[in-house]
Amino acid sequence: MNRFLRTSYLVACVAGVGFFVLSVLILGVWPGRVLEEETRRMSPEHPLKLTASEQRGRAIYSKEGCAYCHTQQIRFLKSDVIRFGAPTLAWETQFDYPHLWGTRRIGPDLSREGGVHSPDWHFSHLYSPRSIVPESVMPAYPTMFNGAPDRPTQEARDVLAYIESLGRARELAGPEGEARMQAASHQMDDMQVASPVLNASPAKARRTGTYSVIRYHLIGQTTHADRGLNVYNRHCAGCHGSKREGDGPGAKGLLPRPANLTEHDYSRERFSFVLWNGVAGTAMPAWRDLSKEDLDALADFLAPAPSTRRVRPPGVPRMMELGRSVYAAHCAQCHGVSGEGDGSAARELAMLPSNFHDIAPVNSAILRAIRNGVEGTPMAPWTAKLTDAEIIAVALVIERREWE
Amino acid sequence: MDVTNPGPAPQTQVETSLVRAHGIAAILMLFASLVFGITVSIELVWPNALDGSPWHSWGRLRYDHTQGIMLGWLANAFFAFLYHAVPVLTGRRVTSVKLGQWLFGLWNFVVVIPGWILVLAGFSQPLEWAEFPLVIDVFVVLALVLAAIQFLPPFFARGLVDLYVSSWYIIGGLIFTLLAYPMGNFVPELVPGARGAAFSGLWIHDAVGLFVTPLALAIIYYVIPAATRRPIYSHFLSMLGFWLLFFLYPLNGTHHYVFSVIPMNAQKGAIAASALLGVDVMIVVANLLLSLRGSGWFPRDIPLRFVGTSAVFYLIVSIQGSVQAQMSVNQAVHFSDWVIGHSHLAMLGFATFAAAGGITHVWQRIPSARYNHRALEWAYWLLFAGVIIMVSDLTHAGLTEARLWQSGAPWLDSVNAVRIYWLIRTLTAIPISAGFTLLLVGLTTGRRGAGLDAIRESVGLEAIEQIAPRLVGSGS
Repeated sequence: MNRFLRTSYLVACVAGVGFFVLSVLILGVWPGRVLEEETRRMSPEHPLKLTASEQRGRAIYSKEGCAYCHTQQIRFLKSDVIRFGAPTLAWETQFDYPHLWGTRRIGPDLSREGGVHSPDWHFSHLYSPRSIVPESVMPAYPTMFNGAPDRPTQEARDVLAYIESLGRARELAGPEGEARMQAASHQMDDMQVASPVLNASPAKARRTGTYSVIRYHLIGQTTHADRGLNVYNRHCAGCHGSKREGDGPGAKGLLPRPANLTEHDYSRERFSFVLWNGVAGTAMPAWRDLSKEDLDALADFLAPAPSTRRVRPPGVPRMMELGRSVYAAHCAQCHGVSGEGDGSAARELAMLPSNFHDIAPVNSAILRAIRNGVEGTPMAPWTAKLTDAEIIAVALVIERREWE
Repeated sequence: MDVTNPGPAPQTQVETSLVRAHGIAAILMLFASLVFGITVSIELVWPNALDGSPWHSWGRLRYDHTQGIMLGWLANAFFAFLYHAVPVLTGRRVTSVKLGQWLFGLWNFVVVIPGWILVLAGFSQPLEWAEFPLVIDVFVVLALVLAAIQFLPPFFARGLVDLYVSSWYIIGGLIFTLLAYPMGNFVPELVPGARGAAFSGLWIHDAVGLFVTPLALAIIYYVIPAATRRPIYSHFLSMLGFWLLFFLYPLNGTHHYVFSVIPMNAQKGAIAASALLGVDVMIVVANLLLSLRGSGWFPRDIPLRFVGTSAVFYLIVSIQGSVQAQMSVNQAVHFSDWVIGHSHLAMLGFATFAAAGGITHVWQRIPSARYNHRALEWAYWLLFAGVIIMVSDLTHAGLTEARLWQSGAPWLDSVNAVRIYWLIRTLTAIPISAGFTLLLVGLTTGRRGAGLDAIRESVGLEAIEQIAPRLVGSGS
């Protein structure tokens, strides 16, 4: 009897360890093989590894516990895909030692964060998150800077490099890559939520793209106006300032500076485009996660009623003539022959030149831009090439939008 | 040996000094872990509360919080309990006092404290329940080997015959942790991305399921008959529960990554195992609660009260786990504060109550130890209230987040909506810290030997003379 018991306990002990081995095999080793196979079939032939700087950034990201608030795993779920882009595939993580998937999302998922925000945005945000996003709960990392958001240490540069690498492999794979992944996927049913257009974050700023014109509302609807103010204060005031003068607490570290919204008249199309697509080359991200109603309210809040628009000064014919010739000689290559921002050189620039039909600056803003340039943009100072009279004249042309 | 034997009789073989050392270390480390936890919760409510020095940045403190709870508080508490329970269960001494001193020193002064410091200094790995850096992991494995050498031979020396279920849980817990720990801590460093995550998922569950749960259950199964002096309701059910648990627990891991790229069949298997695990826990807890019949919900004996409540928390947290592993629920609540509530119900509710029960139980039986019943009674109620409020609060927060995430509202809406819940969570630190303080007070003040009096009071004097029902068969 005793011997029987002894044997049965031995069997039990072996069985016990067997359970564990079984679990490792069927939930660790087998899925690993499937994922390895999937990686082989889906991955581009020469996938980009991380650079040395990106590696260092990843190490900082790891040790600071970033993954405990920011997941890097977009699930095969509509709610995830709409917000963050295409679901995370195994091959995208093939160089992640160890993985940074995370299991808690206090902040947004960062799988497709590369290119969503500009470098200066990231620096300002790392240095002082609430200066840029007033309601953020993210910890600040001032020790990665020499006292100011525009004076990052190597650490901050490495973190930025790493963040910029997130989602890059998937974007580079392009539509062909997406098609190959679709064909190779073991999880076709769930892959239906994925689509090639979403391989980048929906929040990424775009130079061109679709938008729907935000509709006009009747001025004077107080709830609507309150809503606009509320949205502005929550999402915009950090950079654009509470008085809309582009001098919010987050503005200091940003180049180009956030727009001074009081110095420009924006067309409704421009608001719609910018809010939907962001402004590529600047820190202005796309605001696609705001509801249509919020965007409407915001646009109404920002746009003065047509009747209150500024009256433009009359043009003196001789000055206008001078201004037009200066414009044609020096401005039209970028800003377009009639100010549409579509000059022959426009496509070569990191940032699209202003379309003066969409963005109508006040005279002082025009003069300042021509005299000093616009820091952080391709717009250079013109005082070396143009006389003061020429500058004043061309500013008048731009302000009056009279190209002919 | 008979765990229902109340008096100091088995004490002759208990290494009291090691029980006390680990018991006090457990509570001191609990305070440190508590401070880490409170600080990160405050930083969520007031993100500018601290000056942004990397030494107390959110992420690093968050790493130290969970590692401290698991390795600092619970492991020490388990060791304290084992130094008492293993001799009583086997009738034999643990392997060596000297080894015990080494284990104590290694665990506390080479693993936990340096681990904390290294994490704060920026040396860590970003893996859940495995945040201590690799160099520490090596010593953890070494210490686990020492623990196995220390506690397992008495069981084997007995020939593994007629082991009481607590013994099984102790053997299982120590061996399985030794197997699972390297898998969770080393493999993801060697296997990249999604493949490594599959192993991580296993470890996230194994840390709780193969280390914390078996040892906590060993305590509960031990304290109930020892304090009530009635045998466990059903030995058959307890063994059934044990084997199902060790079969099902490891198979749960992948439920941490539902809707991920990990093959759907693995996910579905893990989800099915999660549902079955809930059934198993119902069996286990039914057995435990039936063993508690007649003791009331809140027995006078504090250790018994702690473990009884722990069993109820275990039931709730396991059923919750089964439910949240299901795809329809997981889709909504995964990534949210619901899960944080769940893990606090497991670690602060189930495991901490079991550990507190275990420590106070063995403390009562050290004749030279101080024991303050009143303080412990308050400790119980404060912790009970703290856990209930915190978990309800976080669960509600999680549901709020889930709803907003699915609605397509801006991300910040989900942060703003739960600020109030985070504040309440931070406020629950008040009863919880007070509870833990009183736990320490209860074990360090009062009369020496008051614990034995408390035992007599809780069962009545005559009981001590009369009751010596044999709990297990032919042992000792």
